[in-house]
Amino acid sequence: MKKSTQVLLVIAVIVVLLVVSVIGKYNTLMEMETAVDARWAQVENQLQRRADLIPNLVNTVKGYAAHEEKVFTDIADARARLLGAKSPEAQMEANAGLDSALGRLLALSEAYPELKADTSFVRLQDELAGTENRIATERMRFNESVQTWNATIKKFPTNILANMMGKQSKTFFEAAPIAREVPQVQF
Amino acid sequence: MSKCKSLISTFVFILVLLTLTSSAFAASYPAPRGFVNDFANVMDQRSRAEIQLIAEQLQKEQGIELAVVTVTSTEPLDPKEYITGLFNTWGVGGPEDSGLVILLSIAEGAIEVEPGYGLEGALPDGLIGAVIDQEGIPHFKNKDFSKGLTNMARAYAHILAGEQFEIKKEKTGGNGWLTSFVIFMLIVILLRRNRKYPPGGTGGTGSTGGSGGTRRPIIITGPTRMPGPPRGGGFGGGGSRPSGGGFGGGRSGGGGAGRRF
Repeated sequence: MKKSTQVLLVIAVIVVLLVVSVIGKYNTLMEMETAVDARWAQVENQLQRRADLIPNLVNTVKGYAAHEEKVFTDIADARARLLGAKSPEAQMEANAGLDSALGRLLALSEAYPELKADTSFVRLQDELAGTENRIATERMRFNESVQTWNATIKKFPTNILANMMGKQSKTFFEAAPIAREVPQVQF
Repeated sequence: MSKCKSLISTFVFILVLLTLTSSAFAASYPAPRGFVNDFANVMDQRSRAEIQLIAEQLQKEQGIELAVVTVTSTEPLDPKEYITGLFNTWGVGGPEDSGLVILLSIAEGAIEVEPGYGLEGALPDGLIGAVIDQEGIPHFKNKDFSKGLTNMARAYAHILAGEQFEIKKEKTGGNGWLTSFVIFMLIVILLRRNRKYPPGGTGGTGSTGGSGGTRRPIIITGPTRMPGPPRGGGFGGGGSRPSGGGFGGGRSGGGGAGRRF
């Protein structure tokens, strides 16, 4: 075998190895990005679930405090904004808006002892609180996956590939210190 | 060169940060002792054994893992964060995420219940909360943690076995008892009458089952088992890992319900 063929062979082997590793890295990156998106889908599921619970809650409250029109329209508006929001940023903002409108609705129960004692109202409050905790949990997990993603695409040599693929770091959402209020029951 | 250096230092920083946070998380939860984890030492022997039986039966019949945990405090986390973290650190529930954790924290006066992903359908948050209100809170207010936890565990086991959990409508006073008594008498009368026309053989005494009462004592027809120290219970040889300690790797999403008492 001639020396030049030997050199060529070595180069060929190196190139093959490189290509294989690049393909591997590419696949990992794609998988990771899908995982991040899937995590956000989990957050969206819970946001949807929250929105679904609201009509029931509003109807229950209306049974006791029908004249509190302002609160009901505020809630309906906030809910519509949440359902209409497309980007993650808009969704989180709409969700925060819903927080305050809901807070006012739940504060109503203080003025209506019968509403407060209504078992279906207490159950709905539990469902709502559970969903809010789920949103917080899924958002935390989304943040973790985004952090891993951001760290990965900045690391050498993956950053070169990520640049070529046009992959950018993603933003995550600071968990707002939401009031994890649990219903207080008096016996 | 300096770019490379800064890159490396960022890596190191991120790595250190990651290891720090993960170890901090892992360190804050005690190792599981089994289904019953009375870290706060507030339960009596009998209730521990009974919950152990309930949990064993749940696992055997439905593959559901139940963990009852008492702690003196959940500091620095709040009880909800604590239960979610503990649930996923321990991995309560099998591959179908069918786990259920009941957490009682003394200092915070908190009771939290969280279902795994797989049980969210069978145990909606509203129902979880109703069980806490009816079976747990009245006893917790009297500092009878054993009774409250046992009743709650029993109620969840019954719901998971497909039974209806009756949610009481407000405090109806003696009225509820009166109706259930009337229903009970009706059933007794009906049963008596039926026995007058036996299709064949007298049926014996017959158990008057559905009395309609809300709080009839429920007998757990568990497998015949010697009433000895339960497997993986809260006591026993120091240091060695009990066989009941490991859970199946289930996950939860932070749902469930909680109360302060």
